[in-house]
Amino acid sequence: MADVIDATHAGLRAIYFDNAATSWPKPACVAEAMSLFLANDAANPGRAGHRMAVAAEKMLDRVRKSLADFVRASEPSRVIFSSNGTDALNIALKGLLREGDHVVTTTLEHNSVSRPLEAMSRRGFITLTRVDFSPASCVIDPDDIRRAMTPRTKLVAMTHASNVLGTLQPIEPVGKIAHDHGARFLVDAAQSIGLVDVDVEAMHVDALAFPGHKGLLGPTGTGALCLSSRIAAEQILPFREGGTGGDSSSPTQPAVFPHLLEGGTPNTVGIAGLGAAIDFVNARGPSQMLAHERAILTKILEAIAALPKIRIFGPKSAGDRVGALSITIDGYSPQEAAAILDESFAIAVRPGLHCAPYAHRTIGTFPDGTVRISPGVFTTSDDVDTLVRALGEIAGA
Amino acid sequence: MSESKAVHRSQPELARYNRQMLFSHVGVEGQRKLRAARVLLVGCGALGTTLANLLARAGVGHLVIVDRDFIEVTNLQRQVLFDHEDIERNLPKAFAAKEKLTRANPEIEIEAIVADASHANIEKLAEKTDLLLDGTDNFETRFLINDLSVKIGVPWIYGGCIGATGLAMNVLPKETPCLRCIFETAPPPGMNPTCDTAGVLGPAASIVASWQALEALKLLSGNRAAMSRALFSFDLWENRFQQLNVARAKEVADCPCCTHGEYEYLSGKFASATTVLCGRNAVQVTPAPSTTKIDFERIAVALQAVGNPTHNKFMLKCAFIEGTGDRRNDLELTLFADGRAIVKGTNDAGLARGVYAKYVGA
Repeated sequence: MADVIDATHAGLRAIYFDNAATSWPKPACVAEAMSLFLANDAANPGRAGHRMAVAAEKMLDRVRKSLADFVRASEPSRVIFSSNGTDALNIALKGLLREGDHVVTTTLEHNSVSRPLEAMSRRGFITLTRVDFSPASCVIDPDDIRRAMTPRTKLVAMTHASNVLGTLQPIEPVGKIAHDHGARFLVDAAQSIGLVDVDVEAMHVDALAFPGHKGLLGPTGTGALCLSSRIAAEQILPFREGGTGGDSSSPTQPAVFPHLLEGGTPNTVGIAGLGAAIDFVNARGPSQMLAHERAILTKILEAIAALPKIRIFGPKSAGDRVGALSITIDGYSPQEAAAILDESFAIAVRPGLHCAPYAHRTIGTFPDGTVRISPGVFTTSDDVDTLVRALGEIAGA
Repeated sequence: MSESKAVHRSQPELARYNRQMLFSHVGVEGQRKLRAARVLLVGCGALGTTLANLLARAGVGHLVIVDRDFIEVTNLQRQVLFDHEDIERNLPKAFAAKEKLTRANPEIEIEAIVADASHANIEKLAEKTDLLLDGTDNFETRFLINDLSVKIGVPWIYGGCIGATGLAMNVLPKETPCLRCIFETAPPPGMNPTCDTAGVLGPAASIVASWQALEALKLLSGNRAAMSRALFSFDLWENRFQQLNVARAKEVADCPCCTHGEYEYLSGKFASATTVLCGRNAVQVTPAPSTTKIDFERIAVALQAVGNPTHNKFMLKCAFIEGTGDRRNDLELTLFADGRAIVKGTNDAGLARGVYAKYVGA
């Protein structure tokens, strides 16, 4: 694997099945770009006219343009850099909602969506409807969203793919329903970005939030919120205010994208890495990467179907999934199974609730959770063999 | 009229120390030095209660007692400051010790801190202290105290006991070998029996702590030269006492701590990690890396003292009850071959660390 840095952990090559938490390894070009930027151009962008500041600003512009192209945003200024997916979601939720609004969301959501909404609901700022999914398909039915809409519904907030089950969600029809009812549509693309194309304009998405460190293969500390042309600057309040460079005489945040929502010095070093990562993803092709992850998942699903002590949640095929799969093993708590996979086989997986407690309630795995296996673009067939052998040994012990 | 009788009349606050001051190596001067001294006692169990008791009564002016545990009925056999009423009142050990000792000697200051001493807080706890005292039940904390002692140049006194055996040693930084000169690193988890699996006799704990307390009195009364430079060791059941000469250990050991100034426990490098796990009420304890694999058979035998352990080739499980009344916790320990453990039934990292120290040992 010449593309990636060869890494070992305590002498063992880690077999990494925790890409849904953050992808690993990263393409070697990511570390190189960060290192070069740090060495040469790491001035504060947009705050001065000297050559290094200009170089930093140009780098930001370039990556902003790459991201805008990636999600078909109408203009790069509608790409707001954030420190992660959670940050991007908070910018959207706290910026778009007003007192008395009704919000429709789902039980598949990560805590980065459900916690801010639940908190706003508990203090009486908004009202909230949480639409459940079928535990068989692990997909939200758009008709259930339609039934939850009220005249006061101002936002539908939904994930593009479940971080617990990997199942892709019908965002385009749900976006259409939201727009038919005059509501905005916020999509959490944490698990799908880099694998499944999103066209924010065509797919009725008004705000698309994602981290840079998962499917985009960038470093942690990066992310973005991409706004559609339907959102005007005066419709979103800045959730954080501060220095933006440029017009410092204005007593409040400048009412133009992206500065309105980007107070503070951005994570330039991380964004330089993210830029290189997007180039890598574009070169390889998201659909190719998704096909690879599905092929890996198919191999895993077929092998563990023969192990009677292993229970698989959600559809038994990889067709509607991004690279994530939840299982349990009879006789072991998820935490124990994960500890054994790491301790005896150097295999990294994530046990527990995956910050998505409502989804686990629906599939009946609350509060212990499941073992989540999430392959990535660099997962090999050998990795799967080792995983399957390990699961067989554990289930048979 | 002897000096101490004169003091007795002119300074009644010293009256209680009359018999101690009559001992010529202490005298009035030594007593004043004790009054001015500040001691950090880490751990208030079998060793710690005896240490606190002896030092408070002897007039050590400022005693800081750190312990995170609450009193349980199995403590009463050897932990001399506690009784049934303390258990009913749900008192932490540090508070109960302070209460008892304030009654015994209201003239000194006692600070009771309910906390787990760790690399994150021990430097703060030890501010301005003249001596560090070991009342702990685990090697990781002892190495932490050792690092701190060598780093800040403040002596500490090691003490440990199990069954009818005991070990104790003074560490005088820059002068005597440190604990890492004697034992290079903390033993791997599960290698040594613990008081909670192999038992301990009260008199053995009492002897170790009394030895430590006397050494502390030497140091704090200005008699550092009189302190022991040996490793004190005994097995009372076998009627054996030894003073091991460890003077050369420092040259031989090429010690990372006192020769090279690498404080691997204090920096957190060798610290065990605790992670509150996502999902049901569970904490993972990950000890410092070790190449020794856990022997499940041996641990299973040891754990039969507290529960019904079961194991396969990957893990050992044992359910048990920790604490009583409001503090009762139904816990389950799952131990893996590299020494990591999941303590189910709590989100309290300190409790999980304590359970690990008691039943696995580190």
